Amino acid sequence: MEKRWFFTEKMCVGYGRKPILQHVDFSLSQGEILTIIGPNGAGKTTLLKSIARQIAPLGGRAVLSGQELASLSAPQAARRMAVLLTERSRPGLITCFEVAAAGRYPYTGRLGLLTAADRKKVHTALARVHAADLAERQFSQISDGQKQRVLLARALCQEPELLILDEPTSFLDIHHKLELLAILKQLVREQQLAVILTLHELDLAQKVSDKILCAAHGHIDRFGTPDEIFVPQYIEALYGVQRGSYNALFGSLELQPPDGPAQVFVIGGGGAGIPVYRALQRRGIAFAAGILAENDLDTPVAKALAHRVFTVPAFEPVAPQDAAAALPVLRSCRAVVCAQPAFGTLNRENRLLVQEAEALGLLQPLSEI
Amino acid sequence: MKHPAVRWGVCFVLLFLAVLALLAAAVAAGSVGLTLPQVSRALLAPGQNPLAEGIVRTIRMPRALSALLLGGCLAVSGYLLQTYFSNPIAGPFVLGISSGAKLAVAMAMIFVLGRGRTLSSLGMIGAAFAGALAATGFILLLSLRIRRMSQLIVGGVMVGYICSAITDFAVTFAEDSNIVNLHNWSLGSFSGTSWGSVRVMALVTLLGLAACLALAKPMNAYRLGESAAQSLGVNVRLFRTALILVSSLLSACVTAFAGPISFVGIAVPQLMRALFGTGQPLVLLPACFLGGSAACLGCDLIARTLFAPTELSVSSVTAVFGAPIVLWMMLRRSAAEG
Amino acid sequence: MRAAKSIALGAACALMLTGCAAQGAQETAAQGAPGPNWASLAPTGELVPEYADEFSATQYEGGYTFLQIGEAQYVLCPRGEQTPTGLPQGAAVIETPIENAYLTATSAMDYFISLDSLNALAFSGTNADGWYLPEARQALQTGAIAYAGKYSAPDYEMLLQGGCGVSIQSTMILHSPDVKEQLERLGIPVLVERSSYESDPLARMEWIKVYGLLLDKLPQAEAIFAQKVAELQPVLQQPAAGGTAAFFYITSAGAVNVRRPNDYIARMIGMAGGEYLAPDDGAETARSTETIQMEQFYETAHDADYLIYNSTIDGEVRTVQELLQKSTVLADFAAVKAGRVYCTSKNFFQEPMSMADFLLDVHTMLTDPDFTAGKYLYKLS
Repeated sequence: MEKRWFFTEKMCVGYGRKPILQHVDFSLSQGEILTIIGPNGAGKTTLLKSIARQIAPLGGRAVLSGQELASLSAPQAARRMAVLLTERSRPGLITCFEVAAAGRYPYTGRLGLLTAADRKKVHTALARVHAADLAERQFSQISDGQKQRVLLARALCQEPELLILDEPTSFLDIHHKLELLAILKQLVREQQLAVILTLHELDLAQKVSDKILCAAHGHIDRFGTPDEIFVPQYIEALYGVQRGSYNALFGSLELQPPDGPAQVFVIGGGGAGIPVYRALQRRGIAFAAGILAENDLDTPVAKALAHRVFTVPAFEPVAPQDAAAALPVLRSCRAVVCAQPAFGTLNRENRLLVQEAEALGLLQPLSEI
Repeated sequence: MKHPAVRWGVCFVLLFLAVLALLAAAVAAGSVGLTLPQVSRALLAPGQNPLAEGIVRTIRMPRALSALLLGGCLAVSGYLLQTYFSNPIAGPFVLGISSGAKLAVAMAMIFVLGRGRTLSSLGMIGAAFAGALAATGFILLLSLRIRRMSQLIVGGVMVGYICSAITDFAVTFAEDSNIVNLHNWSLGSFSGTSWGSVRVMALVTLLGLAACLALAKPMNAYRLGESAAQSLGVNVRLFRTALILVSSLLSACVTAFAGPISFVGIAVPQLMRALFGTGQPLVLLPACFLGGSAACLGCDLIARTLFAPTELSVSSVTAVFGAPIVLWMMLRRSAAEG
Repeated sequence: MRAAKSIALGAACALMLTGCAAQGAQETAAQGAPGPNWASLAPTGELVPEYADEFSATQYEGGYTFLQIGEAQYVLCPRGEQTPTGLPQGAAVIETPIENAYLTATSAMDYFISLDSLNALAFSGTNADGWYLPEARQALQTGAIAYAGKYSAPDYEMLLQGGCGVSIQSTMILHSPDVKEQLERLGIPVLVERSSYESDPLARMEWIKVYGLLLDKLPQAEAIFAQKVAELQPVLQQPAAGGTAAFFYITSAGAVNVRRPNDYIARMIGMAGGEYLAPDDGAETARSTETIQMEQFYETAHDADYLIYNSTIDGEVRTVQELLQKSTVLADFAAVKAGRVYCTSKNFFQEPMSMADFLLDVHTMLTDPDFTAGKYLYKLS
């Protein structure tokens, strides 16, 4: 069945006799990317290493297109699976070409000599990861981002069906993170590779994966598509986040709101409020925000950082009574910041709040708070 | 790939010529002055000058050949271990081989000679070989239990210490004369080699080199680390066992016939890496063999001609050259790494 | 390509070796026409030593001699005669009188000097500085005898070029079997002499007969020996003068090395009329000395009448103060308090033929309170 091209069945992984993750059941099809997320120490890398056959599973099995992984010989496995782990090795004198060419190991003869066809494949792999110009350079002298790409080229030279990566983007800057993931996505599309990887960057996991596997301590918490996993409050629960929050819609992190009752009232909307919210949060000043529509750009950030948020339903105008409801809180603040230079049709009533603030002498620019 | 191949070709030719030149020098030089025509006649047209023939064929030639073969074995053994352990100061004796051999030789000296019986040189060689292989066996047993290769070096060093401790213990109760010769033995020397020994050495060397060729492919994978090698399909257990066996066989051969000779196994692979500018096993294996041969031929020549008739121990000469080289390599490397 | 290089290298090695080995040096065969059958030769005389245990010899017709030293067998073959066939397995053939010999057993030099046969030696395993015998030292300095490397690392080429006829070694060579085998491969027979294994001092002197055989000067050797024994008779026949003595040196580790009761020095002290004090542990070994702790030595020798220090290992001691620096415990010894501490001179062990003189020195020490210096013994100040 196409659905069950790769699957695990009641897999139990750990070191020695101690199981770290039990009852691991998931499946993957060709051309799919599966990301394993979860808190530190949950066993993500252990699971990856067990699938990659670097450590023996303590129980259960993993099956790749009908064959049990454990029953494959090492060369057979190397032809079907390629692994990129975060091992920091000191390779000494070796060129990038040689690093990539090592991927041809399962296909070369007794002495490991490369044929012309092998050489061509290596060059093609390097080109595919945009590292063709690095071929003759020493591996130890290139940047981390370039190293990851060359290692990916090596994995490609193995002509695998399944690619396994452990935190491939952890040490990379955003330029290289995005580049690597773009290359990965392209490979998956063009060659119908299946990829299993672990990521700490949840926003990237959300965007790049077809399936997500959540490893909590000792067991698999959830398995599904990103839409099923990245629902509000779930990530905080999975990781045990207490000081901050995770915005599932955008995949962004927010720090925890400042303590105490609101001291400043921010009148914003349309994205103009966000810089003010952040500035106040950085200074540790609690604030209230409003009047925002539920679908306003400011709203998710306000909800995460503000002490009190005043909202109206999406696409509805702000009614006078909504503004009036916010006035008591406004009066109790020591300052009011208006982030919006002008108001539109739907949030015209915010002008009321501005007038009240001026009358009370509370209106101030952000820089004076 | 053009430029490296040219560089390698030139380097190989130079190395080969160096070995030939040193071999010729070793056969031509000695405390008795012989001209080159005399030497070549002694080798190729026997029967004319028994003195020259005796000197060239019975004394110089076997000695030079043993320096050539054993020097190569040392360097290759050191290279194998340096690559496997990713440790630039790993040498052929890092796994305790020479301590095991020394223990066996000490035991042979004490228990055979101490009882008034005689020990032939074959007996000494056999004892040294047995001791070296026993140490190897122990290391192999350890390697089955130890997961990480870096721990194996610790195991090897400990085996070395244990053997040394037992040796010292035994020596305390032995006669002074035994101890002196044990010390002499452990300094290493190529002198007094017979053609029979050279034949055995050649056989072991050929076997060892053939085995190395078979190991060249997994060694290449190992350059990127053990888990990388494993994921490429290398049978890590088998490779580890094979590598320990081959390198131990080579260094046991050296220790048995010439005693432990220091620094060649550490310095030569590093020199060859710098000379050839690559880490590829198929290039470095023959390179190390040639380099080790040249080094031992040169050092042995110096050891026996510099203060003739007093002979320096070849280990002191190799240390005098080898230690500065290793230091220089280390400084160069840390300068490059910044 | 690289694989081919390795294979080519291996092949080159193999070719070189088979090529050379095919023409490898063989043992030089016995010279010329076959000699007489050993079994057919009739013995003409026996040399049975009076005191020595370690050697015996039988003379045969044709001038051949069969010499047994310990377990080793030697056939002495006069120059010009054919080597006999059918020799006992393992017997080494030595041409006599020996020429251009390589001597590494330092205690044997004295025999050559006594027999006036330094010219039979061409090579020495000890440098000029290592010899105390003036004749030996001079010979090395003038180059009459060349230094050819120590016993464990001889200069084979020098020996071959100089036509070395035999190598006279101490038993130390047995610890370097590869050197012995290489010498034999080069056609240089190795004689392992065991004079230092004799526990009777007279036996040590009797070894001059062995060298007499080797140098074809047996009658001379026997005469010298008889004379030396005669010199000793007066001393040996005197009543025991009494007096206990200890003979020792202090090792670098602070322990004490003493002679065992059967050792020749211990016996010489006995023969000179004294009593040698040995540690009481009753162990029987083949060794002549043993190393004991200072405590044990104190127990054994603290009230010995005389103390004799062995200078060969760490040099001569001139004053009692120097001796006390090696170990302050010695200050408590009776002999030290009475000022009866002596030391051997450096050349003592190189002059086995002068056992008689040493014996006389000890006797004088035991009997004459004013004895300050003899040939081999002197008093510490």
